[in-house]
Amino acid sequence: MDDDPSRRGQPSNHTIFGVDMAILAGDALFPLGFRHIVSQTPPDLVPETRLLRVIAEIARAVGSTGMAAGQFLDLEGSTNAVDFVQEKKFGEMGQCSAVCGGLLAGASDDEIQQLRIYGQAVGVLYQVVDDILEAKVKKEENEEEKKKSKSYVSVYGVEKAMEVADELRSQAKKELEGLEKYGDKVLPLYSFLDYAADRGFSFTPPV
Amino acid sequence: MAFSTLSTYSSNTYIPKTSSPINRRHTIRCSSSPISTQFDIKTYWTALIKEIDQKLNDAVPLQHPKPIHESMRYSLLADGAKRAPTVMCVSAFELFGGNRVAAMPTACALEMVHAASLVHNELPCMDDAPSRRDQPSNHSKFGVNVAILTGDSLFTLGFRHIVAQTPTDIIPHDRLVRVITEIARTFGSTGMAAGRFLDLEFEPNTANFVREKKFGEMGQCSAACGGLLAGASDDEIQRLRKYGKSVGVLYQIVDDVLEAKTDGERKKEGKSYVSVHGVERAMEVAEGLRSQAKKELDGLEKYGDNILPLHSFVDYAVDRGSIDW
Repeated sequence: MDDDPSRRGQPSNHTIFGVDMAILAGDALFPLGFRHIVSQTPPDLVPETRLLRVIAEIARAVGSTGMAAGQFLDLEGSTNAVDFVQEKKFGEMGQCSAVCGGLLAGASDDEIQQLRIYGQAVGVLYQVVDDILEAKVKKEENEEEKKKSKSYVSVYGVEKAMEVADELRSQAKKELEGLEKYGDKVLPLYSFLDYAADRGFSFTPPV
Repeated sequence: MAFSTLSTYSSNTYIPKTSSPINRRHTIRCSSSPISTQFDIKTYWTALIKEIDQKLNDAVPLQHPKPIHESMRYSLLADGAKRAPTVMCVSAFELFGGNRVAAMPTACALEMVHAASLVHNELPCMDDAPSRRDQPSNHSKFGVNVAILTGDSLFTLGFRHIVAQTPTDIIPHDRLVRVITEIARTFGSTGMAAGRFLDLEFEPNTANFVREKKFGEMGQCSAACGGLLAGASDDEIQRLRKYGKSVGVLYQIVDDVLEAKTDGERKKEGKSYVSVHGVERAMEVAEGLRSQAKKELDGLEKYGDNILPLHSFVDYAVDRGSIDW
């Protein structure tokens, strides 16, 4: 797939265990996730209905219209699809995580939607900023483009990528503003957004 | 011939056209239970296949990105699929008197996760199978990358499908949760994944049902899910589990026997029970498994005629392999 020899400084799974084991490991981790949700979630705190919704949400996010779609288009390598790829590969995970939190809590449909947009924006923002930071480092070190996959930066350039990051940040903030009735409880979500955006540099003053 | 739609091999089947195999069975052996000869398994099964194929077709429309969904449909809607997981699930559910419409989403999901498992198993780094039932394997047609993503997608779709499509006015949520747990356990690191790992590690010619065990797991899961959906007792679920496991294994053994009989080829290279121990011994094992399966069904006889499909399914599975040519 991406043919990554390492991730965050650690050799990738298939490098150590072989491709066949890596596939089995992936195939086994996924159902384990579902089993874990069911066996470990305190049933007196979370009704089964919500567990089912969470399971369906995770399955959707990972599936053929979610992350798998993103991965496929990424492998195809078309620059036209870079927005879609970013959304699917990174936005989906963020969206899914935030939404699952809301589903477990029994949030309203509107609130779930706000969390979805927030999560999506933060997921993509995180990746765009990662790419911007990497581009800056490469420029300093004069390294060649290592990645096979297309990033915002490699397609649109650093300037435009920073604009996109800015827009995503505003989008995410707007959704959080819609949840202000929850007072201080929203603070972690704001801080997470700030961290996603501001690591290493500021392009707008922090909230 | 209608019956050949239920066969796993190509049109040069050895079953003669002049008489139906069920009638032939009477002249050869009397060991099968008299109960199941009254039940028309052929019609029941053919109808079920048609129903599930339609539902599976509807469950995977061609949407963006097309290649992924095309690939999913290719493996899920393969011609000649017998839909054994479906039959086990639906028949187990109907045993308790329910309307099959409530079990169909789960039955579909079982076909999806089963297909997913096959797609990954056929990959070059795994079994490296170029084809299955005369159809090129998924990765041969779509490439390894798409095949991997297809397996992942079919697997996740199974879980979505159960939640999205099961009528919750008929099936309470706690049963769905139990079904999901059952499927997740079956396919996880202590179930199928473990079996697949052992299959890769195994030396040829020391076959110990490793290949066949995978199908036992699938059968066990399908039958158990049918019972779980119906709200069966723990004891009844256990019986269905054992039934399903026996039938899953014996089904695969007989499949291999039939393949050995028609092709004479040893395709599986010492990995299947048949290729190591021969047809005679394999059929003995199949008979033993048939008895085992029937023993479990004995404990469910209070459900009267509802048990007929489960009985007939076993008999059909075994007797396909014992018809002389």
